[in-house]
Amino acid sequence: MIRKNPFVYYSKKIAIFLLSILILSVAAFYISRWAPGDPLVSYYGERVERMTPEEREWAEEKLGLNDPIHIQYIRWLQNALQGNFGISFKYKQDVMEVIGGRLGNTLILGGIGFLLIFAGALGLGILCVWREDGWLDRTLCKVGTIITCIPEFWLSLVLILIFSIQLRWLPSSGAYSVGNKNDLADRAVHLILPMIVTVLNHLWYYAYMIRNKLLEEVRADYVLLAKSKGLSKKRILFKHCLRNIIPSYLSIMAISVPHILGGTYIVETVFSYPGIGTLSYESARYQDYNLLMILCIFSGALVILFNIIAQIINERIDPRMRENEIVESTEVTEVG
Amino acid sequence: MMENLLEIKNLSVSFHTPQGELQAVRDVSFSLQKGEVLAIVGESGCGKSVLCKAIMKLLTKEASIKSGTIFANGADITRYTQRDMEKLRGKLFSMVFQDPMTSLNPTISIGEQIAEAVRIHNPRMTKEDVFQRVIELMDLVGIEDPKQRYHLYPYNFSGGMRQRSVMAIALASNPKILFADEPTTALDVTIQAQILDLLKEIQQKLETATILVSHDLGVVARVADRVAVMYAGKIVEIGTAEEIFYDPRHPYTWGLMQALPSYAKVGEKLHTIPGMPPVLIDPPKGDAFASRNPYALAIDYEQEPPMFRISDSHYAATWLLDPRAPKITPPIGGLAHV
Amino acid sequence: MSEILLDIQHLTHQFRLSKTAIVKAVDDVSFQIRKGEIFGLVGESGSGKSTVARCVMNVYPPTSGNIYYQGIDVCEPKQYRQNRKLLQTTRQIIFQDSTSSLNQRMKIVDVISEPMKIHHIKPPRGSLRKEAEFQLRYVGLDASYLDKYPSQLSGGMRQRVAIARALSMEPALLVADEPIASLDVSIQAQIINLLKHCNLEHGCSVLFIAHDLAVVKYLCDRVGVMYHGKLVEVAPTKELFESPLHAYTKSLLSAIPIPDPRLERARVLQEFDEHLFDRHGQLVEVSPDHFVLKGGAK
Repeated sequence: MIRKNPFVYYSKKIAIFLLSILILSVAAFYISRWAPGDPLVSYYGERVERMTPEEREWAEEKLGLNDPIHIQYIRWLQNALQGNFGISFKYKQDVMEVIGGRLGNTLILGGIGFLLIFAGALGLGILCVWREDGWLDRTLCKVGTIITCIPEFWLSLVLILIFSIQLRWLPSSGAYSVGNKNDLADRAVHLILPMIVTVLNHLWYYAYMIRNKLLEEVRADYVLLAKSKGLSKKRILFKHCLRNIIPSYLSIMAISVPHILGGTYIVETVFSYPGIGTLSYESARYQDYNLLMILCIFSGALVILFNIIAQIINERIDPRMRENEIVESTEVTEVG
Repeated sequence: MMENLLEIKNLSVSFHTPQGELQAVRDVSFSLQKGEVLAIVGESGCGKSVLCKAIMKLLTKEASIKSGTIFANGADITRYTQRDMEKLRGKLFSMVFQDPMTSLNPTISIGEQIAEAVRIHNPRMTKEDVFQRVIELMDLVGIEDPKQRYHLYPYNFSGGMRQRSVMAIALASNPKILFADEPTTALDVTIQAQILDLLKEIQQKLETATILVSHDLGVVARVADRVAVMYAGKIVEIGTAEEIFYDPRHPYTWGLMQALPSYAKVGEKLHTIPGMPPVLIDPPKGDAFASRNPYALAIDYEQEPPMFRISDSHYAATWLLDPRAPKITPPIGGLAHV
Repeated sequence: MSEILLDIQHLTHQFRLSKTAIVKAVDDVSFQIRKGEIFGLVGESGSGKSTVARCVMNVYPPTSGNIYYQGIDVCEPKQYRQNRKLLQTTRQIIFQDSTSSLNQRMKIVDVISEPMKIHHIKPPRGSLRKEAEFQLRYVGLDASYLDKYPSQLSGGMRQRVAIARALSMEPALLVADEPIASLDVSIQAQIINLLKHCNLEHGCSVLFIAHDLAVVKYLCDRVGVMYHGKLVEVAPTKELFESPLHAYTKSLLSAIPIPDPRLERARVLQEFDEHLFDRHGQLVEVSPDHFVLKGGAK
């Protein structure tokens, strides 16, 4: 048996990852510079309107904005490779520091949301298949579709209206009350509404995907053979069918990271939740180039990373993919 | 009188489709004795596969048993629930399917899939004993080097080897009845005969009664003791293999045999059966074969023919066997086959 | 001996699986099809018979070797371009799976008349619809099917539509790739009769690819046997079935099921030992028109 050298295998994946990031950074850099708007506004605020042309030129020179884009890019790349991603025009702080303060909030909202979504989706998917075409399955399908169709911001506003304004049970914005930064209970209370929106919005989408994958599996021929050898419905579903959808489940999970991340960005903005999402929105709006770049690369890196993880998972789990090389090598010997 | 392992009485199975009720199996009766091979032949859509799956209750929810009874091993299993059936499947009867490429789980090793079938009805068996039994089964179905092959996956196996594995799974708990649904159709001719011979050999060794579903009269001729010919959801003729092949009485059986190239003489056109099988959502009145039958009598369009007895083992449903029917010379029969 | 329509010379087709792995699906195959004959190509799945058909139809470019159709080298791009219309109209193919080889969204009338539209052929019977109706009647279906969709037809009917479409071009060569494998016995007979009829009435040559030897015995004039990409024996049908020479042919013939219980049970399968197969052999003419693969220099 010939196995691929793991070193070569992972080096290849890492190379692909780095190359993708590089291409992404070029694209993001050019698109952000081409987009209309005045980056000086984010640095100087209102003052920009009163600037003389000389002052403007001086300001642009200072921020390195008057060189051709490719020169700017090369300079940015050189600095970035040394770990220096520049300062945020708006916050006048190193971008890493700006992000650092917010990253945790997003990871908590997105991460817990992600886990809840996929645990729930798997549960719902299995439930629907177990009760296929029963009233429960049908009700879930209908209700789920309706909820998925509700726009996130609208759902957020309705929830704020009910729980924050009418009932006054839950806070409507922020990640913690003023002065309670380290109070976990307070943070949890602030998380409830954004979390509900994030989960509700994605849950059924993935549950439905899993339901359909599982139904496809349940209808496969090998299930008939498994039944005819006397296995119970439960065992067939969990031991055979579920096992076979795990690769697709994991790859759906991995590929969904950007989707759910994008969702949290919107939720963050609506709830003024101090995370990466609100930051991205602001940075794009105010042409805060350095911040925008790092956020783009950060989000992009997550997306690409999880896609590569999905691929690796697939190759690990499915024996047909895992041993592809072996099959081919036997063919070679046959041909001579 | 031998005991009947399986007795089907007036079984009707229908599918509920958006177009209406599709009567896939209509009023079928037959019995299966210990250790015999009964072949069910017919064209696609005649209900032969549905019949087997209905007996094992492997049909989807759209299908239901409309009427009739199924006696298996002395018990009336017609109203058994899926849970009741789980105890019988594998032990009383199991099934081999047409396509060995899709009937094995691609992500579980062959040995594990057989082991699972062994364990299900012998939960107390030790790991060692299960392994031994799996090796024994793989030996039985002619898989060489079973110990090395235990850990291989279905995609490592050729079609013939996969079908052998499926048979090992089916035989794991020594079932009394084996349903083989077109077990060789997806295989190459040279492999076909090997699998059929294996089927026959195992059937004789283990005394498993077998119901072989096939559209191929050559396959049937090789292994069947008795043959039932199905058309439009009904058994139109049943008898021993000799009776069906050398003395067929139903015009549909004649048509099926004449259509085979081996019966045609060089330079002669092949015989064809005109028309199409009826749609079983609204089956025609009288004999369903009447409109395609060159020997049809007026009564065929009015009234369904009963099963006429030809001998103790040979029955056919055609009005031609009624004493009042005109005498005709069958186009084949007492076949002097070259 | 009649004129040669299709001449296949040393045809080899390789599939590249990866950088290092190559599979020779067809390995140095040569045979001829004469005008007006039905040539059967038999072998197990994976023996390369369908690949030969696809090379003949210019679906796959051969790795090496030549295919001459009416003297035209069909694999040579220049000659192909010059004779494009002739090649595309007088060679027609029908496939095993008529469900996927007919466009599900086209009506039968459009399916049948499409080749005429593509090649701007003036329909000899007035309109395209009339022409389609004529072809449909020819294959035994009536005009009521013209406005139906393939999904509304049974497998046998769809296969007839595929044949009608091929015949609308009045082909000189019809390549039939397992046309009856997925059909029922009585429907098989109808399609076989139809092919025979086309051959007798129109002098259309047929390359008939099948794994069912009983059908080949009935239908074909000459038969080629393929094994692992090699042609191991070519002979007139009668001679091949009566006195097969290659061990593999013998094994294949011994595997034909006989629909007769006494004969079938007495039939002994002759197994062919794969290790005895010499893929470097050469086809040698042992008696007139009877070729067999003999071990060549290794």
